[in-house]
Amino acid sequence: MTDARDSVSFLLGHAPREIRGADPTMTVLEWLRGKAGLCGTKEGCAEGDCGACTVVLAETVGAGLRYRAMNACILFLPALDGKQLITVEHLAERALHPVQQAMVTYHASQCGFCTPGFVMAMFAAAHTAPVVDRGAVDTLLAGNLCRCTGYRSIADATLDVCAAPVDDQFTEAEATTLAVLAALPKGPLALRHGGRRFWAPDSLATLAALVEAYPEAVILAGGTDVVLWVTKQFRELDAVIAIGGVAELRELTTDGGVLRIGAGVCYTDAMAVLAGLHPALGELVRRIGSVQVRNSGTIGGNIANGSPIGDMPPALMALGARLVLRRGVVTRELPIEDFFLAYRHTALAPGEFIERMDIPILLEGAVLAVNKVSKRPDQDISAVCGAFMVVIADGWVADIRIAYGGMAGVPARAPAAEQALLGRPWNEATIRGAMAAIEEDFSPLSDMRASAAYRATVARNLLLKLYLDHAA
Amino acid sequence: MDFNEAAGTNPIDQTRVVGHAHDRVDGPLKVSGRATYAYEFHNEAPDAAYGYMLGAGIGKGRIEALDTAAAEAAPGVLLVLTHRNAPEQGKKGKGSARAQMASAEVRNFDDPVAFVVAESFEQAREAAHMIRVRYVTEPGRFDLVAERGNAKKPEPKGSTLADTAVGDFEAGFAAAPVQLDVTYTTPDQSHAMIEPHATLAIWHCDRLTVYTSNQMPNWAQHGLASILQMEPTDVRVISRYIGGGFGSKLFVYGDIIITAMAARKLQRPVKMALTRPQIFNHTSHRPATIQRLRIGATPDGAITAIGHEVWCGNQEGGTFETAANQTRLLYAGKHRMTSHRLAVLDLPVGNAMRAPGEAVGLMALECAVDELAERLRMDPIELRVMNDTQFDPETGPERPFSSRKFVECLRTGADRFGWAKRNPKPGQMRDGHWLIGIGVAGAIRENLTMKSAARVTLDPQGQVIVESSMTDIGTGTYTVHAQIAAEMMGVPMERVIVHMGDTDMPEAAGSGGSWGANSSGSGVYAACDKLRRVLAQKAGFNADDVVFAGGKLSQGNRSVTLESLADPQGLSVEAEIDFGDLTKRYAQASFGAHFCEVGVDLATAEVRVRRLMSVAAAGRILNPKTARSQCIGGMTMGIGAALMEQCVVDTRHGYFVNHDLAEYHVPVHADIPDMDVIFLEELDDKSSPLKAKGIGELGICGVGAAVANAVYNACGVRIRDYPLTLDKILPHLPPMV
Ligand SMILES: Cc1cc2nc3c(=O)[nH]c(=O)nc-3n(C[C@H](O)[C@H](O)[C@H](O)COP(=O)(O)OP(=O)(O)OC[C@H]3O[C@@H](n4cnc5c(N)ncnc54)[C@H](O)[C@@H]3O)c2cc1C
Ligand code: FES
Ligand code: FES
Repeated sequence: MTDARDSVSFLLGHAPREIRGADPTMTVLEWLRGKAGLCGTKEGCAEGDCGACTVVLAETVGAGLRYRAMNACILFLPALDGKQLITVEHLAERALHPVQQAMVTYHASQCGFCTPGFVMAMFAAAHTAPVVDRGAVDTLLAGNLCRCTGYRSIADATLDVCAAPVDDQFTEAEATTLAVLAALPKGPLALRHGGRRFWAPDSLATLAALVEAYPEAVILAGGTDVVLWVTKQFRELDAVIAIGGVAELRELTTDGGVLRIGAGVCYTDAMAVLAGLHPALGELVRRIGSVQVRNSGTIGGNIANGSPIGDMPPALMALGARLVLRRGVVTRELPIEDFFLAYRHTALAPGEFIERMDIPILLEGAVLAVNKVSKRPDQDISAVCGAFMVVIADGWVADIRIAYGGMAGVPARAPAAEQALLGRPWNEATIRGAMAAIEEDFSPLSDMRASAAYRATVARNLLLKLYLDHAA
Repeated sequence: MDFNEAAGTNPIDQTRVVGHAHDRVDGPLKVSGRATYAYEFHNEAPDAAYGYMLGAGIGKGRIEALDTAAAEAAPGVLLVLTHRNAPEQGKKGKGSARAQMASAEVRNFDDPVAFVVAESFEQAREAAHMIRVRYVTEPGRFDLVAERGNAKKPEPKGSTLADTAVGDFEAGFAAAPVQLDVTYTTPDQSHAMIEPHATLAIWHCDRLTVYTSNQMPNWAQHGLASILQMEPTDVRVISRYIGGGFGSKLFVYGDIIITAMAARKLQRPVKMALTRPQIFNHTSHRPATIQRLRIGATPDGAITAIGHEVWCGNQEGGTFETAANQTRLLYAGKHRMTSHRLAVLDLPVGNAMRAPGEAVGLMALECAVDELAERLRMDPIELRVMNDTQFDPETGPERPFSSRKFVECLRTGADRFGWAKRNPKPGQMRDGHWLIGIGVAGAIRENLTMKSAARVTLDPQGQVIVESSMTDIGTGTYTVHAQIAAEMMGVPMERVIVHMGDTDMPEAAGSGGSWGANSSGSGVYAACDKLRRVLAQKAGFNADDVVFAGGKLSQGNRSVTLESLADPQGLSVEAEIDFGDLTKRYAQASFGAHFCEVGVDLATAEVRVRRLMSVAAAGRILNPKTARSQCIGGMTMGIGAALMEQCVVDTRHGYFVNHDLAEYHVPVHADIPDMDVIFLEELDDKSSPLKAKGIGELGICGVGAAVANAVYNACGVRIRDYPLTLDKILPHLPPMV
C-alpha cells in the first residue's frame, strides 16, 4: 500500500483533527479523556458493558449524515477516520440540547455518571428513527446501565424527546459538515507506532494481499471482541488489519434466492434485511449486545472468533448458510457447520479470511424459530441458543435443521434429533422422540450462566415449544 | 442546635419550596458532561502522572518474589511502589482505612501488590503487567457454608447488638400450634455503581489534597491521616460529584491511600482509577448470609414466637451483616430472639451496601411470613396487619414508634395494585406460555440520624451560600440543601448557591444509611435558623415573629431587604444539629409495602417482572421528584437482588469470579417495567426539625421478597436460595403440556 496515509483524520465536533503517531490500539475513550481533555464521556467498565462512554459517529451516507452511537471504550482510534466524532460536550455548546433538557426535566440523571452515555444514545436516536414505545426504549438503551434511577425517568424522557426527529445545531450545520467530511483526506491507512503496525486497506484485493502477506496479523472488523484483548487481557497487538474500509465487504445483496452479507456489514445494517427474511432473525439480532455493540460488531466477527456461544452461528446453521472464505485471489465455500472444528478453533487457514456469508432465502412454508435463552433479557450472553428450521408437508416433516449454541465446545447441529424428526409425522410423539435424541447429540457443561442439567432440559423444551407453537 | 424534643411548627412547615418537585440543581451540569468527577480535575493538576494498581492474583498468602526490573525500565515509568519501598504507615484508620502494601502478606484477591506511576495511563498499565510475582499461597477460608460451624458471636456493630431475646423463644415456638422453620440464603453482592473509585492526590508542601469519590469525606480525611501518620487538619478531601456509591464509597480503599503515598514520593500529583474488575475484589461487597427463621403462630394468625438467626462471614476484625435487625421491630410476638454469628473468611472485605441488614434480612423474613400465611390459609396482607405493632416489641409500649404507617401502606397498595384479583393458589394464572403470579412484601428501614454542621453566608447581593462537607451521591442533596435554605431565608431557589463535598467546610453527616438529606438538611436548617436570628437582631426586630419572604424580612408593616443587612464581605454563620436521645425514646423507621406481578416462562423458567408498585411512608417528602427516583432506583436494585445479582465465589482460590458488568448482572431496561411509588402523607416531628425520615434505602427493602413471593404464586416454586435464577426454578416447573 504505497499510497496509504499515516494519520487519522476526522472531525471532533465541528473542528477537523488529525492524529499522527498515536498508538492505533489506543481506544477513542482513552484519547478523549486523556489527550483531548474531554472528560464528559465517562468510563464505567472499559469493555462495552455499561454505555457510559457512548459517543456518536456521524458519517456520510448517500446525500446525508448518519448518526450512530458507539462505545468509545471498544473502539480503536483509527475507527474515527473520515467521520465526525460528537461527544456530550458538543451538544451543549450553545444551550442544553433538547435531549439534555429532557434528562433534566424528567430527573433522569441522579449521580450523573451514566448520563452522558444516555444523552448520546438518545441523541443518535433522535437523528435516526422515532422511538415510539417502551419496548423501543428498552432496545435503544439496553447497552446503557444506570444503577441510580431505575430507568423509569430515562424512559419517560426518551419517549418525550425521541418521538420525532429533532432539529438541532447538527441538522442546521449538515451541509457544512458534509462538505468538510468530503474534504477530509481519503484512501487506505498504514499506521505505525513503535513496532506496531496497523493497516486499513480500502479494497478487497489489497486486503487479501495484506492478510496473505501477514498471516500473523489480527483481522479487525468491529472490534467488539478484539479491543477487549487489549484492554482486558492486556495483549499487545503487533500487527492489525482493519476491514472496515473495504467497500466490497460492506455489500448486502440478494441474488438468485441467496442473501449475501459481506463480512464487514455491522449488525445494525444487517438487521433490517435479516428481519425481512424472518422476524425471528430480526429479534435475534436485536438481542445481540446493544445498539452500540451492533453499530460496530459484525456477523463475520461473530463467526470468525469461533466462540461456542456466539449467537449467529446456530441460526445460520438452521438456515443452511455457507461461508465464502478468501486467501489471496482464491476463494472457497463452506457450509457454516463445517467451519467450527473445536473450541475456538476454526477452518480458517493462515492468510485466509471470511469474505461473506451466503444465506438461502427461506422456502415458502418453512418454519423458523430462534430462541436465545439468557439470564438477562438484554445485554447478555446466551446460556443456550436454539435455532430450528422445519418444513412440514401434509403433516409430515419434510425437512429439518436444528442447531444449538452453548451446548458444546462449538455451535453445532443436532443430527440425532434431526434424524428422529425427518420423514416422521409432525406430532407430539415424534417431538418427544427428538427430545430424547438430543441427549445423544450433546453433553453440555455447567458454568456461571447455567447448569448442565438446565441446558439439557431447555434444549428439549425448546423443541417442544417449537411443536406447540406450530402444531397445526 | 440540639434536637431533643419533638419539633414544633417551624418555617419548613410553610412548604413554599420544601416538599415541591424541583428539578435537581446540578442537572444541567451533569447532562452536559460538565460536572467534574474525581478523575477529571485536569486543571487542578495538568501535570498529574498516572497510576495503575496491580492486584494480587491469589486469595490468601504472601509475596515470595517480586521482579519489578522490567517495569522500572519501561518507557515513561516514574515509580514502582511495592511493599519493599512503601513508606511506613499507620495500621488502621477511620472509614475502614487500612495500610496498603505494608508487607508481603496478601490479605485478599486484588490486595495491591504494586503501583506503577508513569507519564501516561497506557505506559503505567503496560509496565504493571511486566511485573512478575511469585506467591506462596496459604489455605484460605472462602466458603461460608463450610465455615458456618466456626462462626462466633461478634462484638456489637455500633449500637447494634449481635443478639436480642425477649420471653422464652424456644418454649414459645415449641408450644405454637402452627410452626414454620425455614432457612434462606443470600449471596455476596456488589454495589456496581457506575463510576469506579478514583483519586487524584496533590501535595502542597506537607499538606495533602485528594480529589476522590467518597460518600464520607471526613471519614476519609481522618482515615487517610491515620494511615499516612499526619494531622487530619493537613488532609483535605474533596468529593464534589460522586458517580454513585450505595455504600461502596463510604470507605477508604487502596486508590486513596496509595495515590497519596505515590504523589508524596514523587512530589508530583498522581491520579488513578480502579479498573472495573478490581472494584469487585479490592473494595467491599455486601456479604452473603444464611438465615434461619422460625415463626410460631396461633391458628388464627397471631405470631407468638419469632426467631431470626443469621450467619455471615468477614475478614478478621470485620463486622457482621445485621440481617435480623428488622425482625426486632416489624412484627408483634411475645417470645422473640435474634442472633448474628460471624465466621472468619479470607474473601474480600464485606461491608455496608444500600440498606445493610434490612435489604437481605427482609428477603428472608418477608418470604417466611408469606410461607406462614400459606400454612395458615390466610391472606398474606391480613397476616401482616394482624401482627402490626405500634411500639418496639422488644421493649414494650414505653418505646412507641415515632410514626408508623405500615398497615396504611399495605392497604393502600392492595387497593391500587388490584390485590383482590390475586388467586392465592399458585400456578393458576396463565398468559400464553407465561405463568403469572402476584406477591407482596413489607418494608422497613431504620431511621438513622447523624450530627451535621453547615455554614450559611448571606452575600451583599442577597444570595445565600450554603457550605458543608456533605456529599451528593446522586440522591439530590444539592437540591434539598438549596430548597431548605430558600425556605428558611425566604428567597427563591435560584438565589441559593450550594457547595459541598469539601472537608475544609463544616463537617456534615455525609451520605450513608439514608441519613443524608434529613441529617445534613437539618444542619442547614440549624445554620439558617441562626442566620435568621442574627439578621433579625441586626434589623432591630424581635426574632420570634419575623417573616422571611420575597428576599426580605418583615415584622408588622416594617420590612428590610436581605442584602441591606449583609456586610460587604458577606455575613456568615455556622451551626450544627445535634440529635439527642429521641431515637432511643422512640423507635424510628420508614415503612413501605411492595406489590409485584411476575411472569415465569414455562419452557425456560425465565422470570420477568411485569409490574411493581411501592407505597412508602417516610415522614415529610422534601422533594417528591428526588424521593420518587430514589425509591424507584432502590426497587430496581431489589429486583436485581431477587433475580440476578450475585458475586460467584471461587471457593478454591478465594475470589469473586464474575468481576465485571458482563457477568455481574444488574438490571437492564427490559428487566424493569414502568414502576411507580406512592408516598403517604406523614410528618415525623421526632425525627428532625424537617420532620422527614430516611428514604434512600427504603425502596430496596423488601422488594426481593415481593418478587420471590410473586414467583411462588406464579408457579408454586419456592426458592430459598437467592438469586432466583432460571436453573434453580426450571426443575420444579409444571409440565409444559
Ligand atoms: C458488550 C458486548 C456484548 C456482546 N453481546 C453479544 C451477544 O449478545 N451475542 C454474541 O454472540 N456476541 C456478543 N458479543 C461479542 C461480539 O460483539 C460479537 O462476537 C461480534 O459479532 C464480533 O464482531 P466484531 O466485528 O466486533 O469482531 P472483531 O472483534 O473485530 O473480531 C472478532 C474475531 O473475528 C476475527 N475476524 C473478524 N472479521 C473477520 C473476517 N472477515 N475474517 C476472518 N476473521 C475475522 C477477528 O480477528 C477476531 O478474532 C458482545 C460483545 C460485547 C463487547
Ligand atoms: S465504559 Fe462501559 S461501555 Fe464503555
Ligand atoms: S444516574 Fe447514577 S448511574 Fe445513572
